Amino acid sequence: MAEVPLPEPFQSLEPFSAWALATERERRAKRLSSSMEEIQAFYDALFPQLEAVVAYLDQFPLDQLPAEAQPLYYLTLSLVEVTSAVELYHNPHIFEAIEPTRFRRVE
Amino acid sequence: MQAATENRRWSKEYPELGTGPVPAESCISPEYFELERERVFRRTWLNVGRVDDVPNAGDFFVRELAVCKTSILVIRGKDGVIRGFHNVCSHRSNKLVWEERGTCRGALACHFHSWGYNAQGQLTGVPDEENFHDLDKSKLGLSPVTTDVWEGFIFVHLGPQPQETLIDYLGGVAEQFKGATFHKRRLTHTYKVEEQANWKVALDAQNEAYHLPFQHRYSFPGMFVLKDNRYLRLSGVKLYNHHAVWSTTYNSESTPTPTGALMNQLNTATTNSRLPMLGDFDFFVIFPNFVILQFRGIEDDYYMTYNFWPLAVNRCIWEIKFHFPPAETAGQRLSQEYLKHRICDVLQEDAVAHETLQTGLNSRAKTHLILQDDEIQIRHFHTVLEDYMGFFNGRGH
Ligand code: FES
Ligand SMILES: [Fe+2]
Repeated sequence: MAEVPLPEPFQSLEPFSAWALATERERRAKRLSSSMEEIQAFYDALFPQLEAVVAYLDQFPLDQLPAEAQPLYYLTLSLVEVTSAVELYHNPHIFEAIEPTRFRRVE
Repeated sequence: MQAATENRRWSKEYPELGTGPVPAESCISPEYFELERERVFRRTWLNVGRVDDVPNAGDFFVRELAVCKTSILVIRGKDGVIRGFHNVCSHRSNKLVWEERGTCRGALACHFHSWGYNAQGQLTGVPDEENFHDLDKSKLGLSPVTTDVWEGFIFVHLGPQPQETLIDYLGGVAEQFKGATFHKRRLTHTYKVEEQANWKVALDAQNEAYHLPFQHRYSFPGMFVLKDNRYLRLSGVKLYNHHAVWSTTYNSESTPTPTGALMNQLNTATTNSRLPMLGDFDFFVIFPNFVILQFRGIEDDYYMTYNFWPLAVNRCIWEIKFHFPPAETAGQRLSQEYLKHRICDVLQEDAVAHETLQTGLNSRAKTHLILQDDEIQIRHFHTVLEDYMGFFNGRGH
């Protein structure tokens, strides 16, 4: 995706810009192709700032996010994508679930 | 509503359903499946979408109804009326529309010889018309399918003459939802899973709360284990003529995950108009294959729908839709994404069970399903089904 720098206060998240993905399908694929160490590192970087990030994003109406806020928003969506991997399963995969591509998001 | 403590409570309320085992044959017999096409799916009202799928004049979607061996075109006419048609060209029966959804600007043209139809299903254009014999275009529109809309849900009926109107068919369910503000929530996420399972195996597996503390122990640890109700006994069951609803309460004291706690604070999108709920979670089965799930949220309620579409005796598509209050900020949206994500984990576990249940049934090691009192809604479903099918004729259950 196009390289738009993250807003000033959140530039520490720059190393995780590969998680700024626009679609659920991409975010899911990223979770499933990442190691638990990579997922944990992303979570550890973003989660402590999540409230501040959301406060920043919430200055704007959702449908009028400025270009530099967009990747930040996608990062928060990716955080939601990995939250159960980190907080519940300690594993990128759900334990007793069907093959993830079979659970098809219609976008 | 109070958690149930009395044993075998529902069978006392609905003694006519009996308490015996339910035959499993209906989920594995090819003969049964062939009869279901006619006796169930051509004799009931089937939900195929919502008005939101066709907001503007000319908007259409196509619904493949494999179980009825047809494809249905649902389209909003220039007059604003939503109509259903067989998606079949009047010339030589080619499949007319090939896209899943779209908008008719001017005419829908058949891919074979380009006969054209307007958004009201009328035949408007025939190339080289002069070379036909006595062609009366006004008699050659698309073949209509009985279509009606209830609270924004679009239903079709494929029988030659529906015995009941949609509203009569829905009966007590329609009364329960009278004035429900479904339209204030938006369709946000749709999923489809093609499963190696009979459609009823998938539906039955969703149609109870007994499994929640066990099958979903990883995805929702603690959530479904209540101190005064450790097996998550249902808080309510209502059985209608063809349909049913059951309700549960949640464990509001179960500690949320760190993300969950934050998301609870962000979950503020609201329609200022709650849904007419019976419990914290309501599961309405609208016979035969449509489900409305209502969830009590913090500031507002949201709902989901399921449609179980039969493909073959041991194959179906499970279609899942989420409808949330409109989110105005990223934080609101994020809290909805979070709820959706947690629920989808559960559904991906559910889908495994649908297939392992089917595998077990296919072995014919067991001939019957054994149901406890809190599975009475499954018993009710199979009783309604047998009323339509007349397959077991008094033997079995
Ligand atoms: S079959 Fe459609 S135009 Fe000929
Ligand atoms: Fe489940």
